[in-house]
Amino acid sequence: PPWSLQRLKAAVHYTVGCLCQEVEEDKDVQFSKQSIAAISEITFRQCGTAWVTSGYLGHAKRSTINTEDVKLLARRSSSLLKYITQKSDELASSNMEQKEKK
Amino acid sequence: ERRSSSLQHKSAPFSCAAGQKQNSSRENWSLSPEEYETWDRLYRIKEGDGIKEPVLPQTRFATLENLEEIPGQGAARQLSLCEWSLWQSRPFPTALVGHSEPCHHFIRVMEMMEQMRQQQGDCSYGQQLQPHLRLEDVNIPRKKRRLHTANS
Repeated sequence: PPWSLQRLKAAVHYTVGCLCQEVEEDKDVQFSKQSIAAISEITFRQCGTAWVTSGYLGHAKRSTINTEDVKLLARRSSSLLKYITQKSDELASSNMEQKEKK
Repeated sequence: ERRSSSLQHKSAPFSCAAGQKQNSSRENWSLSPEEYETWDRLYRIKEGDGIKEPVLPQTRFATLENLEEIPGQGAARQLSLCEWSLWQSRPFPTALVGHSEPCHHFIRVMEMMEQMRQQQGDCSYGQQLQPHLRLEDVNIPRKKRRLHTANS
C-alpha cells in the first residue's frame, strides 16, 4: 500500500531519531532507543489530537487550515506562541518575496 | 484535629455556602464576611499548619527563550505530574467527566513505556517499524541521517 500508519510511524521514528541525535550532540546526553521510540509514539499520537484539542474542529467555519489556526495550537505558552508567530511572519515575508520575483 | 475532620465533611467547598441566607448576599464577586470566616477557619493554609502551600508547576521550554516569570517557590509544595507515573498506564476512575482522547493517548504511551522499561539495547518498536521506512518520506540532510536506526 502506498500509505499506511506503519509507514508514517516509521518516518516519524526516523526523523525523531535524527532530531534526538542533534540534541545529544548539543546537550551531551544520550537517548536510549526506547526513549526515542517513546518520543516518536508521543509525536505520532500528538499529530492526531492537536487539532481536536485546539478547538479548531468545533469553531472554525472554514475548510482550509491557515497559519492563525496553527498559532492557536501554541496559545498555552506565550514563549511558544512568540516563537511560532515569528516563524509565521518569516514565512509570510519570504512568500511575499517569492511572489514579487515572479 | 479540627481541620482534618471538617475537611472530610465539607469536601465540596461551596456546599456550605449554598444555603438561601448566603445566596441573598451573593452579589459581589468576593467573599462575604461569613464566607470569609468559613474559608479562614476551615480551608486557608496558615503558617502553623505544617503543610506547604500547593502550587502548580509553570510551563518552561528547554529549547526556547522563556517569557513567563518563574516565581520563587521556597515554602510551596510543587504539585507533581510525574511522581505517580507507575499508576498511569491504565485509566483512573472518573466522576462526571470522561477521559478525553488525548488522555487515552497518554495512558497508551505510559503503557508502552512500561513494556519497554525492561528492554536493553535493541528496541522492538524500531525493529517493527524499520521495514516500513521509506527514505523519500523523511526530510533530513544526508550527512545527518542516523545510520544505526536503519540497521537496528
